[in-house]
This record gives sequence, structure tokens and C-alpha cells, in this order.
Amino acid sequence: MKAYINAYASDSCVGNTEELMKSIYKQESGITIDISYMPETPVGLGKMQYDDFFETLNSVVATVLEQSNLENFNDTLLIVGSSVGGMQESEEHYFKDKNYKNIDTSRHAISVIAESLEKEFNFCQSRSISTACTSSANALLLAKRLINVGAYKNILVVGADALCYTTVCGFYALSVLSSKACTPFNAEREGMNVAEAVGALLVQNEQTSDSIELVGVGASSDAYHMTNPDPQANGAIASMNNALQDAKLDAQDIDYVNAHGTGTVANDTVEGLGVEKLFKGVYVSSTKAITGHTLGAAAAIEAIISCEVIKKGVIPAQAHLTDAQNKNINIPTQNITQDIKYVISNSFAFGGNNTSLIFGGVN
Amino acid sequence: MSKKVAVNIISASKIYAPQKIEDLEEKRIVPKMIIRRRLTRNAKIMLFLADKCAFNGGKIVYASAFGELQSTVGITDAIRNQTQISPTLFQNSVYNSAPSYFSLLNEDKDEIITISSGMKSSLDALKTAALQAVVSNEKVLCVATECLDINNIQEVNNCTTYLEAGAGIVLEVAQDESGAVDMQVLKEEGVIDSLSDLVSLVKMYKNGVRKVFINL
Repeated sequence: MKAYINAYASDSCVGNTEELMKSIYKQESGITIDISYMPETPVGLGKMQYDDFFETLNSVVATVLEQSNLENFNDTLLIVGSSVGGMQESEEHYFKDKNYKNIDTSRHAISVIAESLEKEFNFCQSRSISTACTSSANALLLAKRLINVGAYKNILVVGADALCYTTVCGFYALSVLSSKACTPFNAEREGMNVAEAVGALLVQNEQTSDSIELVGVGASSDAYHMTNPDPQANGAIASMNNALQDAKLDAQDIDYVNAHGTGTVANDTVEGLGVEKLFKGVYVSSTKAITGHTLGAAAAIEAIISCEVIKKGVIPAQAHLTDAQNKNINIPTQNITQDIKYVISNSFAFGGNNTSLIFGGVN
Repeated sequence: MSKKVAVNIISASKIYAPQKIEDLEEKRIVPKMIIRRRLTRNAKIMLFLADKCAFNGGKIVYASAFGELQSTVGITDAIRNQTQISPTLFQNSVYNSAPSYFSLLNEDKDEIITISSGMKSSLDALKTAALQAVVSNEKVLCVATECLDINNIQEVNNCTTYLEAGAGIVLEVAQDESGAVDMQVLKEEGVIDSLSDLVSLVKMYKNGVRKVFINL
């Protein structure tokens, strides 16, 4: 059975999906300069507007239900991808109390997101995936495979991560944060922006009038280094190749690469090389210049962007690009209007965990 | 709609201790000291279990409800005390650290999925491993570990008497369903619930069961 994405919704530092796409096409970044996490060190972060992250989560999922052909989620499997789970709340207690006594362990774990959504929406089952920045990409990969083998009819994939001290200060310790909005693929780039977001996509085994097909999924491991990507881009290429093979497509069938494109020196150099080696002249850009890197939520957000790009027939320009490091890849500096059949979206994570997803228009 | 598949259990192993598991045979399994020193406790237990299951490469489904607590605590302590965060602690803090170290050490370039579904983590890992076996027709390592041995853990620990624990199996899709049995609940008193389904399966294997049904 084929897997179709039939409804989706999101919230990020630039707002809901409609606002997200407007910001992308107008190249208006949602990154703000922040000193609340590290008072001595201003960094660019993608902060959302909310009182309670879990209310935002519920609201995004409620929007998907409203858009869908379902009356409820009682016959839907929930798969959540997250890298930090309930860390924000645990940090709050720990920094205030200086002990663990008021930390609710069930609200600390990654699974707090799925458990909270199960209570609100009564899903038939749930599971949670945490592979750092590929978490929601792997959630979509599993969703497609479960639909393909006929195990489920409806699967809601949610990618969700909230900002917390651990990630902001942790990436600072790795010297990969940018003090301004990130500039993916630029020759002179400082690094990435940690950000937060919620993205939710309903994957079903039946096509609707508004479907995008999840055509292919592929994954690989670098087996090279815990944080640095394989400099030859073998892992990235393997993941993209595996997705192409799953989709039964050739590299030349792809119209647009929605890059992982974090803006770090290591990622963009290697991903650019991978795209250069695998594709000939395909358009490639990173929307993290607008949203920041939303970690475990990133692939869900970028899956939604990929679906929108196909529906609108407009490839987004690379925001903040002044001088590309890799002159052998085709990074658009203006939005490109054309018929778009297939988009590949990459996600790469710590541990050399790589996942690529291919989306295709069907209507 | 749900799908049940029959899988062969090829090998199985489990280990736990009230605090630190003493002999994980690290020097034999990871001869290079420079890498051995960087490994998290979860990674050491996972590598030990993979070794006991005679698994040296292929698809891995790893599970942990609480992930790399020791690294996370090190980071939050550094933030609280306004000291520098160790980059190694941060890279080790992700939930997929343990299987990623396996990948590095064994040059395993195959897929790694990490499940963290709270107290049903090992059950969801089994379902995922069975799916991975179905789609690839290959052997899959399904392994789960928990390492809760941090200072003052007693302030929040009300779920286990074993602060370090793990269980793993290697499975493949069975060619037919004959002789396959449903999974049984064979709980081990004091072992954290996030590992209980895999522990049950390891005990079934030790009791001679070689083929089980798993619901995807």
C-alpha cells in the first residue's frame, strides 16, 4: 500500500504553516538575538510564542484532525519524534530546587509528548522515537513502512521540541552557534540557530484530493564520528540513494533538495558535496535560515515545507546567501516557479544518523 | 487494523545489577582505550549485549526510556554551576549514543532507530525491530538499556532496584508461523518496566522458545 500525507499543521518561530511559507518565500527569518540562555553571549534562536508548549502541541494536532477526513484519532497510531521530550520542565525544577525531588520522571522522558497527546486525543497506540535531529524523519520513515506492509491505515507523525538550556548551551559548547540568523551554504558562515517547533502530518493508506505521496524513505549510518559527518559524504549519499531506491526513482527525477542545511561549517560542506556528487544541477536550499534548527521537530517541519513546495510549485530561494561556498551546486537566490514532481528532504544527526525522505505530487 | 508477524529469535541476552554492572568485558570488546574512555554506560552495556548475541552489524533498534542520564546531569550541573560544558558530554547526551558507538566500532553503516516510549520502550522496540526485519528480510538487533546510576537518584527513583540493566535479542522474520507462540509476561522483580517485554522474551528464549508472534 502507498503512503499519502493528507493533512498537516505546524507552529514555529514564524507562526503556523501559512505564515511559515510566507516567511520562506519572502526570506523573512524568525530568528531573534537572545541573551536569556547565555547572558554574556548573544545567540540567534528560533523562539515560539506560547505560555505552555503542550497547549501549542494540542492545538497543532487539533488543526490536523480538523483538516483530515477523520472524526477522531481512535483508529490512528501516533508516532512522535523528539530529541529533548520534557527537558524544559525538568530544567526549570532542577535549577530552582537544586535537587530532583519535584521532577516528575514521566514528564521528563521523551515519551511525555506522546502520553500527553494520547490523553487529549485518544490514539489507538503510540510510540516515540529519539534519534536526535533525525527523530521526526525516522518517525516518517517508520510510518511509511507500517502503511506499506498494511499494519495501519492512519498514522499521525508529530515532531516536537521545545528550547531548553541543555541544547542551547550544549551546541554553544561545540562552538557551532551563530550570533545572528544562520546563513546556510554561505562561504562565510558562523553556525546554526537552535529553535523550537511542532509539526504534525497525517499519513494514510488512501489518496485524497489534496494528497502528497511519501514516495521513498532511506536511512544510513556514517560510522565515522559522533558529531562530525563523514567528509566524503558517503553516509549522506547512502541515505539519499536508499530513499531513491525505495521510491524507484533516479537522481534526475528530483526537482528540489530541501537540505538539512544547518549553517554549520561541517554539515553544509559535506551535504553540499553529497548533493554535488549525486545530482546534476538540482535546486537545493535550506529553510533553516528562516526557522532555525528545530532539532527533533526539524524533519516534520521540513516535510510540511516540502509538501507545500510541491503544491505551490515554487522552489524557495536560499535566504541570506551572498557567496556560496560550493559553486558546483545549484542554490537558487530567487524563488523558482516551475512544475515540481519530487522533493527530497534530508535530515542528519549526531551519531552519524542520516535519513532522507522523498515526497511526490499525485494530483 | 493491525498486523502480527512471526519472528525467529536467534540469540538473546540480559544483564542487570543494583548499581554498576561490574564486568562488561570492555577491554576485550573495545580494545582502543581512546574510544573506550568516551563510551557512555548505556553504550558499554549495549556493546556487551550485542557481543553476547553474536551481532556484529546490520539494522539496530535500540530503546531506552531515560537515555543518557549521566551525560544530561553533567550538562545541567555545568549550566547550574556556570562552568564549561564538556563537548563529549553533550555529544553523548543524545538517546542514540549507544547504538551510534556500536556503529562506529563495527563500521556498521546500516539503519539505527532509537525508541523512547517510556515504560513500554522495549515493547515498541520489538514492534519496530519486527517491522525492520519484515521490510529488509534481514536479521535485526533489538536491544534496550537503562542506566540510572547518578548521584541522588533515590530522590526520584521509585521504579527499579537495578540502576543498570539491559536486554537484547537478534531476530529475523520466520518463513512460516508453525510453532510460533504469543509473547508472555515473564517479569523479573525489580527490573524497570521499560525493559520488561525484552526481558520476558529473553527468558522465553532461555526456556527454549525460538519463534514468537509480534504485533506491528
